[in-house]
Amino acid sequence: MSRESILKAVKANKPETLSLPDIDLSVFDEDINLIERFKENIEFVGGRLLELDGLATLDEEIKTLYPEAKKIVSCMKESALGTVPVSKETDPHTLEDIDLTIIKGNFAVAENGAVWVSEDDMVVRALPFITNDLILVVPKNAVNLHMHQIFDAISERERTFGTFISGPSKTADIEQCLVVGAHGAISLTVVLF
Amino acid sequence: MAHAEAAAKFNENEAKVNWHDKALWFVRQKRDKQAHKIQGWEQLRDYASALKANVLSNLDNYLVQFEENAKKNGVTVHWAANAEEHNKIIHSILQKHNAKKIVKSKSMLTEECHLNPFLEANDIEVIDTDLGERIVQLAKEPPSHIVLPAIHKTKEEVDELFQEHLGTKPSGGNPEYLTREARKHLRNKFLQADAAITGVNFAVADTGGFVVCTNEGNADMGAHLAKVHIACMGMEKLIPQEKHLGIFLRLLARSATGQPITTYSSYFNKPEEGKEMHIIIVDNGRTEQLSREDFRRSLHCIRCGACMNTCPIYRRSGGHSYDATIPGPIGSILSPGKDLTKHSSLPFASTLCGSCSDVCPVKINIHEQLYKWRQIIVKDVPQPTVKKNIMKAAGSILAKPKTYDFVGKSTRFMLKHTPKSLINSKINTWGHARDLPEVKGDNFEEWYKKRQKNE
Ligand code: SF4
Repeated sequence: MSRESILKAVKANKPETLSLPDIDLSVFDEDINLIERFKENIEFVGGRLLELDGLATLDEEIKTLYPEAKKIVSCMKESALGTVPVSKETDPHTLEDIDLTIIKGNFAVAENGAVWVSEDDMVVRALPFITNDLILVVPKNAVNLHMHQIFDAISERERTFGTFISGPSKTADIEQCLVVGAHGAISLTVVLF
Repeated sequence: MAHAEAAAKFNENEAKVNWHDKALWFVRQKRDKQAHKIQGWEQLRDYASALKANVLSNLDNYLVQFEENAKKNGVTVHWAANAEEHNKIIHSILQKHNAKKIVKSKSMLTEECHLNPFLEANDIEVIDTDLGERIVQLAKEPPSHIVLPAIHKTKEEVDELFQEHLGTKPSGGNPEYLTREARKHLRNKFLQADAAITGVNFAVADTGGFVVCTNEGNADMGAHLAKVHIACMGMEKLIPQEKHLGIFLRLLARSATGQPITTYSSYFNKPEEGKEMHIIIVDNGRTEQLSREDFRRSLHCIRCGACMNTCPIYRRSGGHSYDATIPGPIGSILSPGKDLTKHSSLPFASTLCGSCSDVCPVKINIHEQLYKWRQIIVKDVPQPTVKKNIMKAAGSILAKPKTYDFVGKSTRFMLKHTPKSLINSKINTWGHARDLPEVKGDNFEEWYKKRQKNE
């Protein structure tokens, strides 16, 4: 292993120590309607926003949006639509033909339409990617302005895996034509309640 | 082949060049829109630059801290001094698991290390899963852009490639249809893969975690399905603390494609139960670049590609003309550090307009470094006689005001009266596709004097 020789070379070649910058987050403040900005961005990235007053009608709304969905995974107790149970032990390969997945998102980001999904909430890491359609359910008061606030909010968690999801999977690799649905979910709906 | 010759080849297809030029400029404009939309963009760039400078000045300690934390998380950390060692480490991990089918998401580092041919020679199938990378892999070409690997390919070319390799129907290059077919084809590969290889966008010293960004979801599909995940990172990918991810994630996608963030920004800290996660920290010339005071800032690069999209030379010469893993302005300052003779024409593939430095999210002084390489190259690498003599003449003329004045007058005379045959002659490469400008009456000094006298 080259560990020692690499570290030695770095030590010899690096410049004099430069200190960490003092970061003043107030320069990024914006006085805006967070939900409005989030909506703008989620639509810009190809997702859909559904605003609800509480979760009582959640399942009804989902059924109207995805009437064809048969194989459904629900990772939250507020939705009873799940037809395929999952646990930490589920082999992700068996999730290959899941139509729809419903997951709770802990935080949303107004500036970019992203939702933070932690491993605990997605249960199986592959799930939010392998599912055909994805629904993320986020409380309205969990919408933050920017990424700095989110990293502050998640700083106390147990670190295993987590992901920011902003819209459905997409590609523009063929002549820059945007096509939604590359390898991950083909559609994304964020429910704010 | 020197850059200019390769660029001339690319320019043989004028319609394609025009499209390439416009498509990339469009991406640059999208970047501007996103950058102007948020509060404090310039401040973000300043912070990112200062953070990267701090990282380089303390890199050994951050590397050790990162390793320690990653190990605590149950991740195996490897160190590779060069491409060969990197490839061997990967091979030995794969052998241990008897892994024969590999899926790989975008990683310029594995391109730099020529990992694919190495694995293939060892009877291991490696599939690039980013759609653009899969396209160039099927075409047996290297990527021509670090973010848009197949930007040089037309949809009709992709159509033909897919017919040949994936058995698709002729579609006249329907992007929707071709993407769906690629999704099916690669889904199978994901489901069958024994191991997944990904790059690393950012590695966090104080948590031992790392972030991988994609729009397609291919890094996650690979990493979460296979039993083994190997993440390859250049040693400069480190950032000090988790909260600094906020700064870099805000900059990366906006600079790259004009999206507010990539679709997926996945943050890996611990392997799943029963699975393995490996990180390979690679030097491969980076410590050497670190020693070069004038060029070390090139290690700030977060591989967003913005300098390529904005560069008037890149847009009109195509990524392959650089004959280097990383093309474009940043590649032209990284490559000479690896092989000065081979890449000596690259720092000249620039107008030094500075647009690259203006858009760079980590504020690398790219055009200044290009200029510095030129100074080294004209000293160290033999130059063609024509260029040398012109440069010499120009140097001595510019140094003497009287001569400059005289030469200026006669140049304007020559511009008006030189026959085209001389300008577009064989010896003068510069004139191949150019005409001299039309000369308006006065030179600046004459015009200024007249203006003072209100003439
Ligand atoms: S040099 Fe700057 S602009 Fe170019 S790819 Fe790197 S980070 Fe992006």
